[in-house]
Amino acid sequence: MKKRDKLLVKICVGTSCFVQGGADLLLYNDFLNPELLDRFEFEGCSCLEACKAVNDADVESKPPFVMINGKLHGNMNSDKLNKLLSDEI
Amino acid sequence: MLDMNNQYTRIKSRVYTMVLKSFFNGTLEEDIDKIPFLIIPKDTDPIRCCIYKERAMIRYRIMAFMGVNIEKDDDEMKPLSEYYREIMHKSIPSAPVITTISTACSSCPHDQYLISDACRGCLARPCYVNCPKNAISFANGKAHINAELCIRCGKCMDVCPFHSVLHIPVPCEAACPVDAIKKNNKGVAIIDYTKCISCGKCTRSCPFGAIVERSGLFSALKLLQGKDKVVAMIAPAIDGQFPGNLGQIKQSLLQAGFDEVVEVSEGANITAIKEAAEVVERIEGGEDYMTTSCCPSYMELVNRHLPFLKEKRSTTLSPMGYIASMVKEKDPTCKTVFIGPCLAKRIEGVRLNTVDAVITFSELAALFMAKNIDVREVEASDMGDTTSFEDCREFAVSEGVAGCVVHRLQEGVTLRPMYINGLDAKTFRGMKIWPKRAPVANLVEVMVCEGGCINGPGTIVSPKLALKLRGGKATAPAKAVRS
Repeated sequence: MKKRDKLLVKICVGTSCFVQGGADLLLYNDFLNPELLDRFEFEGCSCLEACKAVNDADVESKPPFVMINGKLHGNMNSDKLNKLLSDEI
Repeated sequence: MLDMNNQYTRIKSRVYTMVLKSFFNGTLEEDIDKIPFLIIPKDTDPIRCCIYKERAMIRYRIMAFMGVNIEKDDDEMKPLSEYYREIMHKSIPSAPVITTISTACSSCPHDQYLISDACRGCLARPCYVNCPKNAISFANGKAHINAELCIRCGKCMDVCPFHSVLHIPVPCEAACPVDAIKKNNKGVAIIDYTKCISCGKCTRSCPFGAIVERSGLFSALKLLQGKDKVVAMIAPAIDGQFPGNLGQIKQSLLQAGFDEVVEVSEGANITAIKEAAEVVERIEGGEDYMTTSCCPSYMELVNRHLPFLKEKRSTTLSPMGYIASMVKEKDPTCKTVFIGPCLAKRIEGVRLNTVDAVITFSELAALFMAKNIDVREVEASDMGDTTSFEDCREFAVSEGVAGCVVHRLQEGVTLRPMYINGLDAKTFRGMKIWPKRAPVANLVEVMVCEGGCINGPGTIVSPKLALKLRGGKATAPAKAVRS
């Protein structure tokens, strides 16, 4: 598969995401299913501005954020990322 | 210890950020009593019994964040606004740095081994044969442990082929290397401050968040509000704790209100030079070994538990000690704030009296979030000429201190270093016998946190990732963190 065919996963490394659990997502090489690693391209990105609009009632609107193929996902952790990426393919 | 990525650390960071935002708005005095209600609104699903208890716990977290000694000064009738006024108008003693929220403590049952339903009452019964105290009996075809006889050696757990033996520890007690946590008659954890070495391992281990650090951030905030120049002294471990490089961290600190930023690694250089000279002198004088002296929790350990090491530990000041004196010499009127991963540094800070406040990385993170400073987006500030002490940034990692000392030895001199990488009950027992059996080394580096300061109680990032970010060997997204 060519590189450009891979779906893009943007991991927010803005300060707010980074210090609230987002840093751990950068160890994706260790926790993701190896099959997924080939199918996606990973990138650290600047603040996605999602943290500025946290809605207290909605846990999904909390950092850390990850954008998978253009869609924003909040309250991310390693298990959730594994699942979301598996669903994507 | 708990994984850092858990609900408790998230709640803590929310409390910190909310309090700080309101502080910088200038409305904290009016807002502070509302914060527990804002964080736990009416329709929250409580984790504990009810939302009222959850709110009370938030209240205690705010108190600890302001530096209140909860055990001593808890007054349920007193509104938070009054605590806040007091904190802002008088200084409170920093020791002890750790305090317990007794009502948050879940009174975990004593450390025990239990036989689960997985027990098949097998023929071989290795648990029964291997138990040194004959504490295991059989009833209804299943093993049973007599708690009164059990000495919690764990042999039965090791030998059971069905993994049917469970070990249920008391997390805070298990984390404490010096046995300073006991239970009172109600089963609530009590810290014995005559034994506590302020390592902070318990604060990172309690799954109920019942043992908390008294933050020093409000002392620092008061300094930032004052007229005097405030100098931030950043510990070597800061590299890797925030997105962005050191220059960007420096610039972020300047934006947060500090007037100057210095690296503690510069002081570490002096520590390493002096320790290199001292260890050679001691060996020539016939001594067998010398230990390092930069870990403040280790210093407490020696003072409180291992007095024989008072002669063995280096008399050199810690990197914080040297950098603080350098800063104060240059400008005696300025105030110094140490920013590091360590709680015990606050105890050292009190002793030194050149350090005016000590805060942790997680408190700094809250400060950045409250001020909307995105470290990775700011223009990097010039760090100046760091070539003379650059390698001393390794002071934050196990084996780094001894490494720097060895580097600074005269040519031809060789040392045999040994590393105490993290203190637990077992290494503590090992150190107790040093008077009889001296360590086979001349230079003993002691770090109470496993892996070094990068695993301290005030860190944000897991040591594994921090090492990656520090080493510059990061993969794509992590590399983006540094740009």
